[in-house]
Amino acid sequence: MVSLPSPRKPRTSVNQPTPGYRVFQGVNGVILTLVVVVTLYPFVNIVARSFSGERQIRAGEVTLWPKGFNLTTYEIVFNDGMFWRNYGNTVFYTVVSTAVAMALTTCYAYVLSKKHLKGRGFLVGVAVFTMFFTGGLIPNYVLITSLGLKNTVWALALPNAISVFNLLVMKAFFESLPDELEEAAQIDGLSTYGILRRIVLPLSKAVVATMVLFYSVSFWNSWFSAFLYMDRTDLMPVTVYLRNLIAGATQGGNAGATTEQLSQTAANIQAVTIVLTSLPILCVYPFVQRYFVSGVMLGAVKG
Amino acid sequence: MNNAGLSRRQILAAAGFIGLATLTACGSGDESSDGKDLSKKQDGAMKQYRAGDRFKATKPLSFEVLHNNNPVYPLKDDWLFWKELTERTGVTLEPIAVPLSDYEKKRSLLIGAGDAPFLIPKTYPGAETPFVSSGSILPVSEYLDLMPNFQAKVKQWRLQPELDSLRQSDGKFYLLPGLHEKVKSGYSLALRTDVLDKHGLKAPGTWDEVYEVLKALREEYPDRYPFSDRWSTNTTFPAGALFGYLGQAFGVRAGWSYLNISWDPAQEKFVFTGASDGFRQMVEYVRKLVADQLMDPESFTQTDDDAVKKLLAEKSFVISANPQELVQNYRYNLQKQVEGSRIEMIPVPLGPAGPVVLGGSRLENGMMISSKALESDSFVALMQFVDWLWYSDEGQLFTKWGVEGVTYTSSGPGAYRPKEGVSLLGSDPDAPKDMQKDFGFYNGVFSYGGSWELVSSSFGPDEKKFQAAMAQREQLPVDPPHPLGSVEQEQASLWDTPLKDHVTQNLLQFVLGKRPMSEWDDYVAELKAKNMQQLVDLHNKAYERYEKENA
Amino acid sequence: MSTPTTSAPPPGTQDPPPAKTPPHRTRSPARTGWRRALRRDWQLYSLAVLPLLFFLVFRYLPMIGNVIAFRRFEPGGSILGEHWVGLRYVEMFLTDPTFWQVFRNTLWLGGLTLVFCFPIPIVLALLLNEVRRRALKRFVQSVSYLPHFLSIVIVAGITLQMLATDGPVNHMLGWFGHEPVRFIQEPDWFRTIYVGSEIWQTAGWGTILYLAALTTIDEDLYEAARIDGASRWRQTWHVTLPGIRPTMITLLILNIGTFMAVGFEKILLLYNPLTYPTADVISTYLYRTGVESNSFSYAAAIGLFEAVIGLILITSANQMSRRTVGTSLW
Repeated sequence: MVSLPSPRKPRTSVNQPTPGYRVFQGVNGVILTLVVVVTLYPFVNIVARSFSGERQIRAGEVTLWPKGFNLTTYEIVFNDGMFWRNYGNTVFYTVVSTAVAMALTTCYAYVLSKKHLKGRGFLVGVAVFTMFFTGGLIPNYVLITSLGLKNTVWALALPNAISVFNLLVMKAFFESLPDELEEAAQIDGLSTYGILRRIVLPLSKAVVATMVLFYSVSFWNSWFSAFLYMDRTDLMPVTVYLRNLIAGATQGGNAGATTEQLSQTAANIQAVTIVLTSLPILCVYPFVQRYFVSGVMLGAVKG
Repeated sequence: MNNAGLSRRQILAAAGFIGLATLTACGSGDESSDGKDLSKKQDGAMKQYRAGDRFKATKPLSFEVLHNNNPVYPLKDDWLFWKELTERTGVTLEPIAVPLSDYEKKRSLLIGAGDAPFLIPKTYPGAETPFVSSGSILPVSEYLDLMPNFQAKVKQWRLQPELDSLRQSDGKFYLLPGLHEKVKSGYSLALRTDVLDKHGLKAPGTWDEVYEVLKALREEYPDRYPFSDRWSTNTTFPAGALFGYLGQAFGVRAGWSYLNISWDPAQEKFVFTGASDGFRQMVEYVRKLVADQLMDPESFTQTDDDAVKKLLAEKSFVISANPQELVQNYRYNLQKQVEGSRIEMIPVPLGPAGPVVLGGSRLENGMMISSKALESDSFVALMQFVDWLWYSDEGQLFTKWGVEGVTYTSSGPGAYRPKEGVSLLGSDPDAPKDMQKDFGFYNGVFSYGGSWELVSSSFGPDEKKFQAAMAQREQLPVDPPHPLGSVEQEQASLWDTPLKDHVTQNLLQFVLGKRPMSEWDDYVAELKAKNMQQLVDLHNKAYERYEKENA
Repeated sequence: MSTPTTSAPPPGTQDPPPAKTPPHRTRSPARTGWRRALRRDWQLYSLAVLPLLFFLVFRYLPMIGNVIAFRRFEPGGSILGEHWVGLRYVEMFLTDPTFWQVFRNTLWLGGLTLVFCFPIPIVLALLLNEVRRRALKRFVQSVSYLPHFLSIVIVAGITLQMLATDGPVNHMLGWFGHEPVRFIQEPDWFRTIYVGSEIWQTAGWGTILYLAALTTIDEDLYEAARIDGASRWRQTWHVTLPGIRPTMITLLILNIGTFMAVGFEKILLLYNPLTYPTADVISTYLYRTGVESNSFSYAAAIGLFEAVIGLILITSANQMSRRTVGTSLW
């Protein structure tokens, strides 16, 4: 690459696409359309099913649009006080767990991103080792019980506070920030905490947003920890509630009960579950996406 | 950081954790020298408690019970069941709710971590074995004298051989199973009787007739497989239901009841099921169905939904069923899809083994009791209570039907019906109350087993007919006890799985015609290479040892 | 302060080779090194205290339980096992021929997943990056994440439906006069099916990190390249790819380290006895033997074995990456 001072020219002048690029754009369009079709169809089908009657579902008639419109399953779920209670729990657990996780992960990732730091290799090793070596179910259970964390949100938030995968990804991002900025800030008399808060984090909005998304989605969808460490139905997150509902609907044979309602539930509880659990996250997503705009970082620095 | 305050406590607690771990490491295995001195454990117990007496604690007691929380009737604190139970017995049960979806996992974890409540119901025979050697589960066989109703039922219904099959290598058993007076059969074939009638066909009574009927159907509908089956995905055995009742007709345990090892009464020793003649005949039978295009080759790998879809779309006319699925799924949905359709479940067709049902099926899931209960002052009362609620006629009637005049009415023994305004299993869709959801009766945690009179009191007409026919069959003898020690158990389970895998894999290859029957001997040789003989010997040795020690 | 303009290489490529530490920081003898480091960086170290405590309490402490790989454990007994049995459980699986078969299958499935599922999100992210219309780009992005939210039961169900004898795939084969194939019963097809469904489910979600990484690339670099007359293709090659390289390398190393962790639940739902020869992996085999509930010791021994392999893999991948491209995890 040549190094010339960059006189800012109006972009349009150099932005003339070549014919080859036009062809590429066309091909790209086709590929992405295919991606959309392939990923959107099953989801639309599931949404349609969740609103369809059982006869039509069982006959395999439902494709993109609900057939035999039916809200029974939604009604059953919505009319159950426990559902709302557990939904509230999920929101609460997700917010707390994500906050704790972001705090710990950001701090540690920032520390690990400092190449000059003595003992850095050891600190990374401490984390990487735990990706592979873990404790078994029973030791973990005994630990949580003897710490007195059972039946509290901490039983979910603390043991999962750092995902090593997220940690290392975040570390890689911090490393790619130009050192000069921090050095300048240091000269200006900012402490390490100040640099992290005022310089590094504002520059890393995209990765912070990504990590919030990753953590919250995984906490939102998780059920196993709650299932292990919560003893009362009213403490469960909605994932456990719905998982149990599905189990009841699909192996309901031995429970014996069926009215028309149950039969309908059995037909589309899976679909309803997916709509109910993924919808909130899908609604949150656009807010996260805002931060994925090119050039955020340097705009902020130069300003 | 918001959790900074917790950190010191964490350190302390963590230190405590290590201490605790070492403590439990030393503490286990110290059984009280003589568990049989119960004179100090009489709190709340009745001095005189005999079969037929109502148990009433002499002072208020409460016990924790693991509760399998069924979403069809989610646990509620205000169920009449809890209130009435306390009133009648003076015992308050404190349920620990565990979602039905993953009940076994949590049970195993709680016992493993030493955190289990006294009462651990919904345990299937065999599931207690892993917990035996650590001493965490009470050897209930040692305390049956506290359980007169249980003993009476075993004697009256001649269940001793079944019970003996639960014995572990120390000669004791650790599970209080659900007891049935008669075998309750589960699965059989369901056929579209309207289609049969249309073509002048009769419902088959033997497996040869099944073949003929399917062949006739294929001739009428040459573009369809008349038989497409289910219960093949995410299960322990492909087409688990079909091979179960088909195997029975050939005198072998196959399908869901498949065990590598089975008793051969002729030779008086254990043999390998998957290499036996009966098993081979069964394989050849199904192979013929598939080869003649009478049975859908996808039967062994498709999801239940797909199998049912084929039935509803009239792409198939025969499918495996149980009474609930028949009524609630097939018939209910068929009537919506196909005008004038009828579908019936037939008694299990007969095969070379004659009119038999497999032995051992009179035991149902039941209860483990934590060893810690023995240290409790109210241990005797606990056992009496369990005996009354789960094994007395009165207790069983109560858990199933509830309170007379409130939840049910009776017109004589065995003739019960839900009271006006109460629905049981959808019997009255307009009723304001539901027996299970609103009152907590007919709950799988408390209500199972019992006299035929009681069990059959809730059958629908289809099930009544089916069970009546099946009740005529002769029960094959139960396998004699052959308990393995815990180290043997470990070894056996590592041989068991590869062998069973090889059996199911080749079963399907033979059945689907991917492997010629002429290679049957090669298949048996392959089993031998996978330690078949060692496994059989292990069990025969255990059998002989048990015989010698308990003669 | 030097403005990061044209001449500066894109961020992330400027990592110094790890052997050389920045010149103005070292030079102190090793003995006084720690004291100096602490004095200079105590604020940084203080940030590491809580995370380290987390690792100690919630990760390392429960690991003590792994001792049951060498001690006999009885469910309900001591959580640290009853007595020493040495390498009994290690020998047990090392001498089990079935274990080696499922081990091979695990490697195959893990390897194929790595080879296909790692690069596809990168390609997809780059393609998305070329979309000029913002609304369209956002739409495609959001839609491509959807499969991530489907439960595995549903994904498996969709897969089985697609491949059924009367499913869409066989319909298409029918147009070419091909006999229907019962894919789900053919061991040869299993790997393709598994990897295909894995790509479908993870590709879109996998782009998120790369899209986030793309935002850190300086627009000016593109502009400079344009002025030099670089085509889009060359811009991608010389600016975009180097810009996301640290993310790529990090993810690649992590994926290599964890590639034995194949999707247990999905395999369980997709396989059947006929496809055991290719489909059965360590976790499904253990599931069928019931050892998770019966023989915790045996499962722990295998767990340690897998962990050692994972650790070796990630360390070698890290070394290799450090030597070849100069970027590494540590």
